[in-house]
Amino acid sequence: MHEYSLAHALLEGLTEHLGQYPVQGRVKAVHIRKGELLILSEEALAEAWRILTDGTPVAGSELRIEKVPVRVRCPACGYEGPVRYVSEEGWHFVVPVLACPQCTGRAEVVEGRDLAIVGLSVDDAPLDRPSTEERNGSRRLLGEDRDLCG
Amino acid sequence: MHDIRLGTEDVIRRQIELASRNHKLFQDRNVRAFNVMGAIGSGKTLLILRLAERLKDKGLRVGAIAGDVAGDDDYQRFVAAGLVAANLNTGDDCHLDAHRVGHALESFPLGDVDVLFIENVGNLVCPADFPLGTEGELVVISVTEGDDMVRKHPKMFAQTDVLAVNKVDLASFVGVDPMVLVDDYRRLNPHGKVVLTDAKSGRGADDLLAVLGL
Repeated sequence: MHEYSLAHALLEGLTEHLGQYPVQGRVKAVHIRKGELLILSEEALAEAWRILTDGTPVAGSELRIEKVPVRVRCPACGYEGPVRYVSEEGWHFVVPVLACPQCTGRAEVVEGRDLAIVGLSVDDAPLDRPSTEERNGSRRLLGEDRDLCG
Repeated sequence: MHDIRLGTEDVIRRQIELASRNHKLFQDRNVRAFNVMGAIGSGKTLLILRLAERLKDKGLRVGAIAGDVAGDDDYQRFVAAGLVAANLNTGDDCHLDAHRVGHALESFPLGDVDVLFIENVGNLVCPADFPLGTEGELVVISVTEGDDMVRKHPKMFAQTDVLAVNKVDLASFVGVDPMVLVDDYRRLNPHGKVVLTDAKSGRGADDLLAVLGL
């Protein structure tokens, strides 16, 4: 049960970012990457987000979670890629095995412990009837961020 | 509606960075530190005391940080045994993290110890997500918790490379075959090392030290 503290850390990072690069319009969804190795309940994370964002500029936003599968690098044979999984009948769980699937050597985790906000979905409808110029400039206000919609 | 891609700081990477600071501190001060995780009541504290006795016999100075939600029971046990000790209450958190440990280290006399055990909050879930910057990690379970303890917490065991199965002297009394725990662990973590221990008598403590490279 550390979903609240991690949701809080995510929100802090986002708040800081939006302070520097404000967006025009309501944030409808916040997209995050969540590594497969993290022991986090997605339901609890979404609930923590709902509660913690109340009263903030991203209140009412939906947390959309993209799972990041484990990738490893093997120092012994040079393999880099996905791992094999243990799936036992009755365990009701599929668990990544942190060993090289090629040579069985000890492998280093490259991906799978991530937890970061990677994007926002923003409603284009203006909040306070900003001028056309302001609306057109909204993307410029995003600073270095790239706009996926081109 | 439009989508914006952004790259705010990865909050786990932040934890890893804080852990790296602790790691560097341990290296700079020549302290070999170990994160002792495990189930509630599995015998983490007593096992640390048994390891400490043997390390003292080898002429090494041992320290311990007692991580608990509340109270100083484990801390008092460490102090009574003559360890350089600190108490670290988390308040409500179910795990230690690198940030909290970093602050504890600010006032800990690292110059007075060669080996430091950081006893995490009893929990087989959350501590796995929070590296502390130690050179090694150990997870302790005991047979009295049942033979399903490993498979019930697969991610913890898949990521922790040393397992102590404690209280093995009680196995027959509680009808648990320790090898069930060992077999489950090997499936989840083919490189993991397992030691059967009985902290009361000290059985297995020497093997555990060897596995930890001490």
